[in-house]
Amino acid sequence: MSTTAAAIRATPLAPAASAPADYVAVDRVRKVYGAGTRQQVEAVATSTFTIKAGEFVALLGPSGCGKSTLLMMIAGLDTPSGGSIAVAGRPLAAPRAQTGIMFQDPTLLPWKTALDNVLFPFQVASRPAIDGTRVRAMALLDRVGLEGFHHHKPGQLSGGMRQRVAICRALVYEPDLLLMDEPFSALDAITRDEMNLVLMKMWEEEQNRTALFVTHSIREAVYLADRVLVMSRRPGRIIEDIQIPFARPRGLEIGETVEFNRICGHLRSKIDHRAH
Amino acid sequence: MLAVAVDRLRPIVLPTAFGAGLLLLWQATVVVFDYPKVILPAPSDIALALHADLPVIWQQAIPTVRDTLAGFALATVLGVGLASLLSFSRLLRDALYPLIVVIQLVPKIAWTPLFIVWVGIGWQSRLTVATFIAFFPIFIAMMAGLEATDRSLVRLCRGLTATPGRTFWLVRLPASMPYLFSGLKIAITLAVIGVIVAEFISSSEGLGFLILKSAALLRTDLILAAIAVLCVIGLASYGLVHAGELAVRRWQGG
Repeated sequence: MSTTAAAIRATPLAPAASAPADYVAVDRVRKVYGAGTRQQVEAVATSTFTIKAGEFVALLGPSGCGKSTLLMMIAGLDTPSGGSIAVAGRPLAAPRAQTGIMFQDPTLLPWKTALDNVLFPFQVASRPAIDGTRVRAMALLDRVGLEGFHHHKPGQLSGGMRQRVAICRALVYEPDLLLMDEPFSALDAITRDEMNLVLMKMWEEEQNRTALFVTHSIREAVYLADRVLVMSRRPGRIIEDIQIPFARPRGLEIGETVEFNRICGHLRSKIDHRAH
Repeated sequence: MLAVAVDRLRPIVLPTAFGAGLLLLWQATVVVFDYPKVILPAPSDIALALHADLPVIWQQAIPTVRDTLAGFALATVLGVGLASLLSFSRLLRDALYPLIVVIQLVPKIAWTPLFIVWVGIGWQSRLTVATFIAFFPIFIAMMAGLEATDRSLVRLCRGLTATPGRTFWLVRLPASMPYLFSGLKIAITLAVIGVIVAEFISSSEGLGFLILKSAALLRTDLILAAIAVLCVIGLASYGLVHAGELAVRRWQGG
């Protein structure tokens, strides 16, 4: 590993000279399915927003509003019908090696152990090996509370544990951008709170990342994010953009504060307002 | 304790006892009604023939087993290879897959004489028939397996900037193993059929040849002895595929 590469890694976010403060720039992006046919559906209406380097943004909206589509386009897994997306100052054309993605399902390989699933990003594509990759993967698993489960296969793990493995897999190659598509929506409420805590802990320990978290849970969005974007019903457009004032580290108890519930109420009224 | 042991042995003991009962009934029928041995030899006659002619049967079993396994192996390579190739190219797949399905609808045994015309009466024709007949279930199962791969896993690989080749090797190939083995199990029994039929039509060796020759000599006991050996070969080769499946499943775990 050359010293230059090591230096870049040591300060993953110190923006390269040309990289703007807006780490993700979504410029007049829209998505239309079946364009030109009678079944034409506008999934995402023209949307423009930016995410600053180091910011944790939640994209909140009702089911089917196109928020996941928007995330998939930022991941490079779907192409916009119009507009453009830039990440780290570069126009996005394909999935980036330094983006970490978490899907709604853990999408683990059933025949690989938890540890091998975490190491999968290195196995499946050439990316710069990080010194002690295996050690880092094991340390990540320990930090999300999976000590003693490194060599279990996904079939032997609970839903929450599988999604913990998926968190580790998304973080193991030290991505600068973390995209999460309703990663905890399939979990029960208690496990979901646990997962939010785990994610928050990982986020606060491993700074220098930018994150976009898609959810339909108002409380989850307010708890996790520095900033919440609200999307309207289909065709989705950004209808609200607010800062969340709570300091980090955050505990689950902030959910009981008046301020927290006032923000939640405000967001709910925004979503409901456009419902009819 | 005893009840558990009985429960566990039931799937073995029950069919064995029933089979033995049938053999006894067969033996009794032949003895009581005094059937001529040429028409229906008793199980004891077959056992005697098996014992007396074992060297001949053994000698003839070798080419049959050899051609079956070679045909099966070749069919596996071709079936898996072609299915893999088609999974990479939408164009190739759309052009070839329907054709292969149509060819597969023709009774494949009907092609046997043609292969003999093309490649001669030696082992090559047996190998060709066995390969041809075993190819289709393997190819079709592999195609189904590759197409059934969880799309979200493929999307994950794309998100991780994997090449199609890596995705194939690390995700689609392992994911299609259960499908492949269901195809292999059908293929191995078909390969035996292919070899025997080819031996019937034109051969001077193999169990199919022995059966045909014994029929001409009215050695009914030897025909049945050869069939008994074919049963063992069929069971053993099926067991081989099953063992392979268990090994892969254990490796894949979960």
